Amino acid sequence: MNRTMKRLLTGKDSRQGRWFFALLIALAIIVWLGLTTERFLTSENLFNLVAQAMPLIITAIGMMLVVLVGGLDLSVGSVISFTTAILALGAPALISIPGVFALAACIGLINGLAVTRLNVHPIIATLSMQFIVLGITRILRPVSGGDVPQIVIDAVAGSFYGIPLPVFWGIVTVLIAWKIIHGSRFGLHLFAIGGGIASGTDEATHNFGVADKQKILLAYVGCSCFAALAGIFLAGRIVSGDPNVGLLFEMDAITAVAIGGTQLSGGVGSLHGTVIGALVMALLANGMNSANISAFVQTAIKGVILLLVVGLQSRKKMGL
Amino acid sequence: MQVAATRIGGDVKKRIEMSGISKAFGGSVALKNVSFELLEGSVHALMGENGAGKSTLMKILAGVHQPDSGEIFRDGRAVTFATPKEALDFGISTVFQELSLLANLTIAENMFLGREPTLRFGTVDYTTMNRETTKALAELGLDLDPKTMVSELTIAERQFVEIAHGIKADASIFILDEPTAALNAADVEVLNRHIRRLRDEGKAIVYISHRMDEIFEICDMVTVLKDSELVATKPLAEMTPHSLIAMMVGRELKDLFPERNAEPGEPMLDVENFRISASSEPFSMTVGKGEIVGMAGLEGQGQQRFLRSLVGQFEPFGGKVSVRGKALKFPVSKDGGIRYLQSLGVGLVPEDRKEEGLFLTLSIGHNIAMGLHSRKSEFSLADGYGEKIRETMASMSVQASGPAELVSALSGGNQQKVLLGRYLAAGMSILLVEEPTRGVDIGAKSEIYRLLRDFANKGGAVVVLSRETIELIGLCDRLYVVHDDTIVSEMAAENATEHNILDAALSRQASQVRLETTP
Repeated sequence: MNRTMKRLLTGKDSRQGRWFFALLIALAIIVWLGLTTERFLTSENLFNLVAQAMPLIITAIGMMLVVLVGGLDLSVGSVISFTTAILALGAPALISIPGVFALAACIGLINGLAVTRLNVHPIIATLSMQFIVLGITRILRPVSGGDVPQIVIDAVAGSFYGIPLPVFWGIVTVLIAWKIIHGSRFGLHLFAIGGGIASGTDEATHNFGVADKQKILLAYVGCSCFAALAGIFLAGRIVSGDPNVGLLFEMDAITAVAIGGTQLSGGVGSLHGTVIGALVMALLANGMNSANISAFVQTAIKGVILLLVVGLQSRKKMGL
Repeated sequence: MQVAATRIGGDVKKRIEMSGISKAFGGSVALKNVSFELLEGSVHALMGENGAGKSTLMKILAGVHQPDSGEIFRDGRAVTFATPKEALDFGISTVFQELSLLANLTIAENMFLGREPTLRFGTVDYTTMNRETTKALAELGLDLDPKTMVSELTIAERQFVEIAHGIKADASIFILDEPTAALNAADVEVLNRHIRRLRDEGKAIVYISHRMDEIFEICDMVTVLKDSELVATKPLAEMTPHSLIAMMVGRELKDLFPERNAEPGEPMLDVENFRISASSEPFSMTVGKGEIVGMAGLEGQGQQRFLRSLVGQFEPFGGKVSVRGKALKFPVSKDGGIRYLQSLGVGLVPEDRKEEGLFLTLSIGHNIAMGLHSRKSEFSLADGYGEKIRETMASMSVQASGPAELVSALSGGNQQKVLLGRYLAAGMSILLVEEPTRGVDIGAKSEIYRLLRDFANKGGAVVVLSRETIELIGLCDRLYVVHDDTIVSEMAAENATEHNILDAALSRQASQVRLETTP
C-alpha cells in the first residue's frame, strides 16, 4: 500500500482527514436508494435533492471554518431562522440582503470576541448566542409568515438553461469556500492554528507571527455569514420568515462536518469532505423519508450518527 | 576583510543592547536588572542553570514577552517589540527550545508560516515555498521533500527543520535555544558549520545549550545568568569548562560524575538472542547488580526500541529476556506491560517527562505516590504515603516548597528528580532510563548522576540511553554500541571515547563477523 492510498484510507498524516469513507458511504447510499427506490435516479429527484441539501451544505462549510480552529458554533440554526425573519420584514432586497450579512457578521464577531478575548469555551459562547438570537427572532416573528423579497424567491426557485438555480448556489458557494479554505493564507493559517490547538502547541502559530486571535475571530464571522447565506436560501424556498426553520441545524452541520473527516479538535479537514458529509446527511434524510421513518425517529438516528462519527475519531483525552 | 577586522579590532559594532531588563511572572521574579549586548559577527553563549532566566531573556528579545522595566537599543535607538512578529520583522529570528512545528502542516508550510508568499488574488505561492524550502534543507544537508507532513518526521528531522526555519529567515540576529537537544554528534557538526557561516557573514548569534563541548567549540563570548541575575559576560577564550561551571553553579564542581562501581554482581537483566525487527541481527546483553550500562551509538539506531520492547511499548521480532533469573513472558503485552514489569521491579523512566512521565497538573506528592499506588489492587484504600514522599523528596533533594507543589511549577531538573523518585519510592530494582538529563541544568545533572549511582550501589541495575555520549561515558560502567537495530560492540566505559564509539558503530562489517563467531 503506497503512501497516498494509506492517507486516503486511514486519514493519517493527511491534513484532509478521513473524507474518503464519507465518499464511500455516499456512494453506497446512492446505490442502495437507486436500487430500492423508484424514480430516485431521475434528474428531477436529484435536483430536488441538491436543493434540499443546499442550506446544510452552506451551513456546514461555515461550521467547518470554526471547527478547523478547534471551535464549534451552535448558533448557526438561530442565525438561519433570524435571517428568514429579517428578510420577511418586507424591506427592499437591496437593504435587507446586505443587512442580514451585516447582522450575521455582528453575531459572529460577538461569538469570536467571547471565545478569543473572554476565553469562553466555544460551546458555551455560541450556545448563549443561540438563545439570544432565537429570542430576538421569536420577538420579531412569533409564528411563520411575512413577505420575502421576490428576487430571493426567484433566485432559489428559478432555473437557467434547464438547470435549477440551487445548483449554481452550490457551485458559487463551493468556489468561494475553496478560495477561503484551500486557496488563501487565511485558510492555511486556520489549519495551522487548529493544528497547534489540537496538539497543545498553540504558542507556535503565535510565535511565528500569525495573528491567531484575529483569525479565529474571522472564522466565527465567516461561519455566521455562511449561516446567513443558508438562511437567505431557505427564506426563498419557504417564501416566509419562520422562527423554527433553523432548528437543530447546528446538529446537522456538525454531523456533516464530522462525517466529512474534519477533526473536531481542529487542524484537519477538507472542503470536499464537508460537502460530501452534507450530501450524506441529505441522502440519509431522503432515504429515511422514502422508507417512511418518522421524523422523531430520524432525529434520534442523527444523534446516534453524530456520536458514532465523533466517537470514532481518534483522540487521546476527552475533548472535541 | 571587514568582518575579520571587526572580530579582532576593538571597535566592534553592537547589534543589539538590552539594558536593565527586569521581568516578573505573577509573584516570581524571572529577571532582575539584566543587561546583555550582542556583537556583530559573534556567537554568544548564554548559560545558566535551568530557571536562571535565559529563556525569559531571549523571549523578551524575540517579542514573546515584554519586559517590566529596562530597554532594548538598536544602534543607540530604543526599540520595543509588542509581538513576535515585530521582532521577526526587525530581523530577530528564533529557534525555540520547545519543538514548535505544527504536525498537520508540511515542512514548507511550517518554514513559511506567518510570511507565506502569495500570488495574485492572495493564493499561497506553493511553488516558491517548496523550492526555497528544498534549498534551505539542502544547505543543512537534508534531503527531505518539502511537501512532507511534519507528523511523518523523526524528532531529529523536526529539530533540523526548526533550525532551517530559524536560520532561513533574512535576519541579523539569531537566537538558538537549545538547538541540539535532539541531535547527535554528526548533526551537531552540520549545525555548527552553519552557525560559523552566519557568524562570518557578520550576524549575531545567541546560543543556549547545556553541552559544554559545544559551547567551547562554537562560541566567542559567554554571558552567565544565575538566579535571575547577571553573573558576568566574558570572552570564552578566558574561560575553561571548569571555571565556566563554577560561574554557573557558584561553586567548584570537583567532578560531574560519581565514581564507577568496580565489581558488578550477579546478573539482574539477561537478554538473549534478541531481534528488534525481522531483518535485524540477533544480540545478547546483560546487566549485573550494581552496574550502570549504557546503550551508545548514533541516534535512532534501535536503542529506544529495544528498551521500549522490554516493557511492551514496542513489539520486537523475538528474543529471550529474564529478570533476576526469571524468564519473562515475551513479547510483553502493550497494555499491561509497564505494570507487569513494575511488579518484577523493572521501571521505565521515559524520555519525554512532560508527555509520558509526569502528571504536570498534579502535585509532587501525587506524582511520587503514583508509583506506590500502582502496586496495589484496584479497590484497595489509598494509603497515606506522606512520610515516604517526604523521605523520597529529601533523598532526591527536590527543591520545592513542599509535596503539595505542582510539578508543572518545577524546573526541568527537579521534575526529572520527581520522576526518578517515583520509581525509587516504589522499590524498583532495575531502571531503564531514557535521556536521564534531557533539558536539565548542570547542577541537577550531577545530582541525577549521583542518584543513579547510589541506586546502583544499593544493589540496583540501570540501563541508560542518551544522546549525549559524554554522559554515557562518564556515568556508565559498561557500554553497548548499538547500530542498525543490533549491538555491534561492547566496551568498558572507562576506555571509551566519543571517537571509538562512533568507530565501532560505523565499522559494522567487522563486528558482524565477530558476532557470528560468538557462540
